[in-house]
Amino acid sequence: MTESILSIRGLRKSFGATEIMRGVDLDVHTGERHALIGPNGAGKSTLFHLLSGHLAPSAGEIRFDGREIGGRTPQAINRLGVARSFQITNVFPGLSVFENIRLAVMRPYGLQYAFWKFIDRDRRIRQETERLLELVRLTARASTLAGEMAYSEQRSLEIAMTLASDPQLVLLDEPMAGMATEETQYTAQLVREVTQGRTLMIVEHDMDVVFALSDRISVLVYGQVIATGTPDEIRNDERVKEAYLGEEASA
Amino acid sequence: MKTVFLSVAVGVAVLLALPFLLSQGLLNAAVQMLIAALFATAYNLLCGQGGMLSFGHAAYFGVGAFATVHAMNAVGGEGLLPTPLLPIVGAVFGLLFGTIAGWFATKRTGTYFAMITLAIAELVHSLAPHLKGLFGGEAGVSSMRMPAWGLDFGSTTQVYYLTLGWALLCVGLLYLYTRTPMGRLTFGLRENGHRLRFLGYNVHGLGTAVFAISAMFSGVAGALQVMSNESANYVVFDPSLSSAVILNTYIGGVRMFLGPAFGAAIMTFFGYAVSDLTQSWLLYQGILFVLVMMFMPTGLAGLPGTVRQLGLRFGFARVLPMVGVSVVAALLLSAGGVFLVELLQRIFSQDYRAALGAGSAWPPVTLLSREWLPGAFVTWLVPVALFAAGLSLAWWARGRRAALEAGEPEGAPVEAGVIAKEGMA
Repeated sequence: MTESILSIRGLRKSFGATEIMRGVDLDVHTGERHALIGPNGAGKSTLFHLLSGHLAPSAGEIRFDGREIGGRTPQAINRLGVARSFQITNVFPGLSVFENIRLAVMRPYGLQYAFWKFIDRDRRIRQETERLLELVRLTARASTLAGEMAYSEQRSLEIAMTLASDPQLVLLDEPMAGMATEETQYTAQLVREVTQGRTLMIVEHDMDVVFALSDRISVLVYGQVIATGTPDEIRNDERVKEAYLGEEASA
Repeated sequence: MKTVFLSVAVGVAVLLALPFLLSQGLLNAAVQMLIAALFATAYNLLCGQGGMLSFGHAAYFGVGAFATVHAMNAVGGEGLLPTPLLPIVGAVFGLLFGTIAGWFATKRTGTYFAMITLAIAELVHSLAPHLKGLFGGEAGVSSMRMPAWGLDFGSTTQVYYLTLGWALLCVGLLYLYTRTPMGRLTFGLRENGHRLRFLGYNVHGLGTAVFAISAMFSGVAGALQVMSNESANYVVFDPSLSSAVILNTYIGGVRMFLGPAFGAAIMTFFGYAVSDLTQSWLLYQGILFVLVMMFMPTGLAGLPGTVRQLGLRFGFARVLPMVGVSVVAALLLSAGGVFLVELLQRIFSQDYRAALGAGSAWPPVTLLSREWLPGAFVTWLVPVALFAAGLSLAWWARGRRAALEAGEPEGAPVEAGVIAKEGMA
């Protein structure tokens, strides 16, 4: 029996009378790359919002590393070791790329209220920021304003910011959206490398990436997980074919 | 970087030399300018850097002022601290009150934040006249600067140096703050507080801290004001002070560190120089604010940068004539505007109305030591001609700019909103 870092039981979320999550049960094993797929409106992003503290669950439990995190604040969840990226790019548009990553890097060093020392003097933070810049191939763009970069570059920046807090569980919400093929390949490889020793949960629409990258896949349809398994299992699952992949897969 | 350091050094040297160059009256104005500059810089920490638009910063200025005046009167008039250290009292009380008010205000953002700051300021403003023991009622609380450290603080020059010392120290500290981790986070708060939360930061705590620091330095500005006036009155809580600091900050330019200080100094100086000459100073202030907002979102302090950027792109030889013409156009338009405002102000004044006999011709008004007949064609030709000349020059400059832009093959990023320069006074 593999150990689960994240276990979700009976998770429900409704907005008024509208039920978005209708009883999700899901286990994410420690160290695996777990993809979440499903048609539009299935509740993938809502699930990420519930996991990251953006939304509070209506019912059910979310246990991360044995601790209940459902309904906690985003910063509390982040400090426990869960970091996420956003589907709609969510960076600091008026600040330089370097500054964006540095703000993310500073957090684990506990410098929120530090007003007695200069940030430029801190070598650890500068080196870590430069390392992340190089990792996502943005070194040449370090002094560009984040809001002025191409969309795909902003996606790379999102990934760097998400990794900055050295999280145990990384939630990536469509990290490759809007990227060209070459960028997608590089980013998929990057995600594979940087999540070594971490657990990854990823929402992605590019099925080639999903099937190549993930150890296991869960299929979310109308607020419920209808199947979880290895890429091969999912590919051959009748319910998944019917509900989601449709004729494309059976053809 | 070197030029920045050099210009700051020159600026400080000029400020140090001012008492030898200025008359007593102007030196008094310089003291007020320094206080306004410090207040605007402190305000901009919250507004320009933290992205939190406060509508009630007079409250923290006033709390600092009253705390200081009571500290001056403490210990039987000897003062709680030696005179040069008294602004510390203003800082401490500004910080305390700012922490409490900021804790509530930063629970919300945007419009709601602004409304809470307004409500807190109004609360203090309406409470102050009733608490006579604390705020002294209509007469206010007066005090004396006690001699300390071998100085008697009796002359304007000594008050000037005291104010200058504190203003430089505080503005310097506020600048250094922007280089610290918390200072960088303040910019992040402005750009995207939501994202900061998901990076693990306590955004409410950060907002409260930024608010409190801004209030602390505002309190120092209030303290300096009290020490210069040797009295404090509850009018410091008046909303006009809160709005003045907003206008000054934006006219100077919120995106540059020294922009607000520059704007506040200029506006205070004009207020001092012009208020004797005209009754319409507030109107001019308002017009200037609207024009800056419409045509120069980067503020007055952003102008040199804009000109430099244009010069680097198109070559200074081609840009400078255009800039020169723009300046002349602005002067002509300002002259036309001022002429019109002053003329109308005189015609609509009560004295003039009273002198107006029924049925008789309108008597002339005096302006620029000349008599102008309201019924005469020439009287109205002057502003119309000034406007026409100014507008045509502005039109030409604008056309030149458009031609330069069009002539450039690759559209390099243009700073938004600095296209039109006409109408700046």
